[in-house]
Amino acid sequence: MAEQAGEFFGNWQALARESWDAWLRKAQSAAGAPFGSSPAAGADDVFARSMSGLKAYMDWMQGAAAGAASPASAPDWSQSLRQMFEGAMGGGQPFAQAFGHAGPAAGGFAPAWQAMWEAARPGMPGAEPVAAFGHAREQQLQQQALAAAMMEYLETHARYQALIERAHAQGMERMQEKLAQLTAAGHPVETMKAMYDAWVDAAEDAYAEVALSDEFREVFGAMSNAQMRLRQLQQQQVEQWCREQGMPTRSEVASLGQRLQEVRRELRASRAEKAKASDGTSSALQAEVAALKRRIDALEGERQPAVATKAAKSPKATKTTSAKRRAAPAKTVARAAGPRTSKK
Amino acid sequence: MSDPLHFDPIQAMQEMAVFQRKLAAGMTQLRGVGEPEYANTPRELVYREDKLTVWHMRGEREPTAKTPVLIVYALVNTVWMTDLQPDRSLVRNLLAQGEDVYLIDWGYPDGADRWLTLDDYLNGYLDRCVDAVRTRHGLDAINLLGICQGGAFSLCYTALHPEKVRNLVTMVTPVDFRTPDNMLSHWVQGVDVDLFVDTMGNIPAALMNWVYLTLKPVRLLQQKYVNLVDILDKPVELENFLRMERWIFDSPDQAGEAFRQFIKDFYQGNKLVRGTLEIGGQPVDLGLITQPVLNIYAEQDHLVPPDASRALARHIGTTDYTELAFRGGHIGIYVSGRAQREVPPAIHQWLRERD
Repeated sequence: MAEQAGEFFGNWQALARESWDAWLRKAQSAAGAPFGSSPAAGADDVFARSMSGLKAYMDWMQGAAAGAASPASAPDWSQSLRQMFEGAMGGGQPFAQAFGHAGPAAGGFAPAWQAMWEAARPGMPGAEPVAAFGHAREQQLQQQALAAAMMEYLETHARYQALIERAHAQGMERMQEKLAQLTAAGHPVETMKAMYDAWVDAAEDAYAEVALSDEFREVFGAMSNAQMRLRQLQQQQVEQWCREQGMPTRSEVASLGQRLQEVRRELRASRAEKAKASDGTSSALQAEVAALKRRIDALEGERQPAVATKAAKSPKATKTTSAKRRAAPAKTVARAAGPRTSKK
Repeated sequence: MSDPLHFDPIQAMQEMAVFQRKLAAGMTQLRGVGEPEYANTPRELVYREDKLTVWHMRGEREPTAKTPVLIVYALVNTVWMTDLQPDRSLVRNLLAQGEDVYLIDWGYPDGADRWLTLDDYLNGYLDRCVDAVRTRHGLDAINLLGICQGGAFSLCYTALHPEKVRNLVTMVTPVDFRTPDNMLSHWVQGVDVDLFVDTMGNIPAALMNWVYLTLKPVRLLQQKYVNLVDILDKPVELENFLRMERWIFDSPDQAGEAFRQFIKDFYQGNKLVRGTLEIGGQPVDLGLITQPVLNIYAEQDHLVPPDASRALARHIGTTDYTELAFRGGHIGIYVSGRAQREVPPAIHQWLRERD
């Protein structure tokens, strides 16, 4: 019975795989690369990468279903569970997918450098620094630095991957506990999708615990920093080649951008200062004008009775007015304000 | 104990068949599907500078609020999360309540923006956006609604330019960047940010997205797409899904210098709550914010944990401080059905009492 079921599932798997491939081909031809594309990668590659999560799930389903058809293949259920996820998912494949195939700007950096390192290794210096001399001294030093940075990066990346594997293993333990609890409580997981969802929950919980550890923080920082050192050395080499070819370099363009931004800032600051000064002058003038108006009004008020006794009082009144006008505070402001007050 | 892995082979086969059928049918649904549109609420351009744009959003009715509200979004991702689709739009719901809404679209920085600092963004761009809105309305001060990183910017701006802000609303805004459950912050502590920015220049959006996805790698890189199969035959849900994918991945690069300062001062130095932050040489003191403040946070936020937002209460100077907890996540607070019913009316009610 189990044999028959196993054969049936074998055929089913083949059919499912063919169906998946056909679906993928149709989807590609119909929609090109519907989830975005990069000029650096072919549309097929981009699409396949976008769909890899779904493909992994399909593979897992097939493996799980085959396992269901031959339940006696592993001595105990926890081992079967492990096989179910580590086999079809490729030993924490979704994690690997997360950290290994996210494009050249991100996780794809590691495999790309790994491949480059393997290809270049025969001609590259080892990790041990060697005294450099001669007309190619600078190039020797650069090569050594690049080799050291590459090894450092690959070493930190390996430490990082080890933590990811640890998260996966802890996720499996959590899942076993959860399944055992559910079964003991009379609520066994009955569908493959429910099993998968339970595994995702367990994997994410375990991952969160690892990701919030001090060790992860240290390794994450070390890997990021090592990758940046490596990129920087690579950029330096490219720039040197560009200079030799008489081409503008990234540093030169960045330098120009920096200067331009500084000039823009200075220009804005200068304009703001000018506007502020202009506003300040205007406000001061307005205050002066208002003050002078008040004084004039007051003086005119004083002069009204003087009109009545014009002959006797007028010389004194003129003097007082002159004295008060001399008391105006700021000379330039008073001069500027003069015509206005007189008009009024 | 019975075997927890005992599947019924027939049922397993049926499950696979259903999955296959859905996939095949989904092909028909995906064929010819174009780029899903955002809500595209009618809007008028009122200010433009370099790559940023200030939009005046237009509702079906005239605003009843006397003071306009300017939405200040984060530099990561685009502001269209606030106007995602007609029935999931914070902007539309605020307009329907009677608010007069403006929003800043920061645009997509490129190499020319590599040297923009936080001073350029806050005392430059943001200040001029605020002035543009103030001038249009002849007001000394307007309302700010800051979201996520834009909320942190709004706090800094209010502390630096208090005379220009009447009321401040912050949504899912990090204030204390060093809470123990903040995974992003935890990771970035060991990163040499100077080396990072000196090497990368502007920070590519793809790299930022990758970091966000790796906060929950299996859920966001695999399970989400497995679940997609269940909605491939539901055109409306499929379109909503694809629209969200567009928003997630159509995101701007980060201007290098601003990124450097934000990570060093906010994430690593936690200077906003330590009171040691300076923007453009001016100290940023949250204690100087005396305007009314409404602080809205999401209880299941994995990007900005609730404690990171709630810390504002301990550092703000105002006596008129209100907190609103939303049961949902960092994105759900804009797009879930409950968010549409709960969040915009709460913001409007709070603003109306202070208009």
